Amino acid sequence: MTPIDRRTFLAGSTALGAAAMVGGVPAVARAAKTTTILGIFPLTGPYADTGPLMSKAAEMALKEVDYEVAGQKLRYVTRDSETKAGSATRRAEEAIASDDVKYIVGPWSSGVALAVGEVARKRKVVHWFSGGTEDISGKRCHRYAFQWAASPWTAMDVVLATFRKQNQKAKRLYLFIVDYAFGWSLQKYVETLAPGHGFEVVGVDRHPLGQREYSSYITKAAATNPDAIYMVNFGLDTVSAVRQLFNFGMTPKIPVILSWSAGVEELVQMSPEMRQNMLVGTNFYYTIDTPVAKKFVAEYRKQDSKGLPPGYAPGASYGCMRMVLAGMRAAKSTDVPAVIKATEGLKIDDLVGEQTVVARNHQTVRPYFVLKTTPKSEMKDDYDFGTIINSSAKEQPGELNECKDIGSL
Amino acid sequence: MLFLVVSQIINGVVTGMIYALVGVGLTLILGVLNIPNFAHGVLFAFGAYILLSVLQVVGNFWLALLIAPFGVVLLGLLLELVGVRRLYTAHHDYQLLFLFAVALILQETIILIWGPIGTSVLPPAGLQGAVNLGLTVYPKYRLAVMGITAAIVAGTWLFLTRTNVGAIVRAGIENREMVAVLGIDIQKVFALTFGLGAWLAGVAGGLASPIMGLTPSMGFDILPIAFVIVVVAGLGSVPGAILAGILTGVAQSLTTIVFPEAANVVIYLLMGLMILVRPQGLFGKR
Repeated sequence: MTPIDRRTFLAGSTALGAAAMVGGVPAVARAAKTTTILGIFPLTGPYADTGPLMSKAAEMALKEVDYEVAGQKLRYVTRDSETKAGSATRRAEEAIASDDVKYIVGPWSSGVALAVGEVARKRKVVHWFSGGTEDISGKRCHRYAFQWAASPWTAMDVVLATFRKQNQKAKRLYLFIVDYAFGWSLQKYVETLAPGHGFEVVGVDRHPLGQREYSSYITKAAATNPDAIYMVNFGLDTVSAVRQLFNFGMTPKIPVILSWSAGVEELVQMSPEMRQNMLVGTNFYYTIDTPVAKKFVAEYRKQDSKGLPPGYAPGASYGCMRMVLAGMRAAKSTDVPAVIKATEGLKIDDLVGEQTVVARNHQTVRPYFVLKTTPKSEMKDDYDFGTIINSSAKEQPGELNECKDIGSL
Repeated sequence: MLFLVVSQIINGVVTGMIYALVGVGLTLILGVLNIPNFAHGVLFAFGAYILLSVLQVVGNFWLALLIAPFGVVLLGLLLELVGVRRLYTAHHDYQLLFLFAVALILQETIILIWGPIGTSVLPPAGLQGAVNLGLTVYPKYRLAVMGITAAIVAGTWLFLTRTNVGAIVRAGIENREMVAVLGIDIQKVFALTFGLGAWLAGVAGGLASPIMGLTPSMGFDILPIAFVIVVVAGLGSVPGAILAGILTGVAQSLTTIVFPEAANVVIYLLMGLMILVRPQGLFGKR
């Protein structure tokens, strides 16, 4: 056999690399005269670890009603968003065309969600999403898109207020911001709100999504002598940054604030030593004291081989799916315009407590939670990551909301 | 600014030395067996995950680091014996497809055993925290990794250049048919090389775990980098792989100062540049 030459080697590598990038999940079998809901989640790519958990949780909400609401059968199909706007929109379009999808839940990235939201607007299907971009219920709002997560303004306000209460002398914040729609939205409000809480932003570093090496940012941050590292990033980006802050000896001396955290799925990846002196803001934590949350957490843990509780990602997909169902129940129909009208202004006691969908911008007004991490010596079990010490459901002031016209159906 | 550049150069060398360990293993397998080992990244991942399990049992990082790579060697030898050995005379397409399939299966195996969500390993007790180097503050563990990887690379180099077995391996890279004609059991040489490559990947995975953390996809994350190193180094070149590993690490690291978005792209630019300027790589002959 001839030795492998450079050309063959490179051609083979490229072909296999391209093959590896091709994803997709086949649709489940069709059923006649049913309403189809699409769960579009990252099954490959940067958030691939959370996609299957989100899909599982979304389907749990449907199983609870036995795939039936308002006398209509429901069908659930999934697609891989890949955390790529192009792939997600292509697959959403394909699912709408081939599976007659009327409702979309997901994906798991603000930039990708905004793109999927445009598909929803164009194809007149309902889109529920949970994420950090304010644009879904802000300047890119429309009648078909709904936001389940708390407003970035609400989140940053309660996180800063809690940190102030916990650290009376702290003044200087250094920001690590992930460089896409989610990071930009939250950075704007941190910088706007920080002075009001007595903080000064002494430095900001924006890093790309999927960043694994933070040493240059940590070195720069250390030079400014901050009182806290304030992070607006997510998932493995956050875990990598926290790990390296610990390795550089910055933590636990300096507190770290995870302002918009995935919760369990992030915290479980850090050793207890890395989690010391940390404040965690999140849209969902498994100790939330509501009947819906308790039932969901118990069922979810039962289905997990290690008894892992759900974090924000599965909590969000479950919460979004429940809002879809609540809208259908309120409309007594699965007809899209009727469900949208019934959802606007809908007020229910649900997963995270009282949830109200604001009609003028489709933002859900709901509590945002802040945890204080549990020191290793005080942990009751492996999943005792922290305790909720504060929450707020304060609505974003109307003048700050950029949704000027939600549009028509 | 100077402190940042110094810090990033040190950082690049540390990362580059880990890349070099992976790259040397991959280039040895490619040079001797003439097989592009697409499962090499997942062997790196197994190094980290086996270390995690051993660490939970023995409670000592260094002991775990000593033991874990041999688990990867066993896995590598099994892979060579059961699959790769049957494909030595097959077309490269079959080798690529087989090894890529093995890599996917092994990644799923990691998920089945250790779960889909990543985890962290702490540096050993004495090496936690940072040390002041004057111009910059730098983690003690990363400095230790620099020393350990340098020792392993030097040891591998001595093994290849100063021992009879090493000479046979090098001869295998030059002309394996001639090695077989001389009456040397080439299958044993192949198995030894695959085992050595797997060991280097396993050590790299174990050493990298406190720095990079553990995720099931970590093998696929490092695989393209390892192939870039082999291309930049020149197919089958061990010194080339060491130099290319360090160059890649430093290039990536320095790029994060000025243009973080390009840090993952710069290594491919480096590869493209090498293909244009010196297609055979730094030390390659074909």
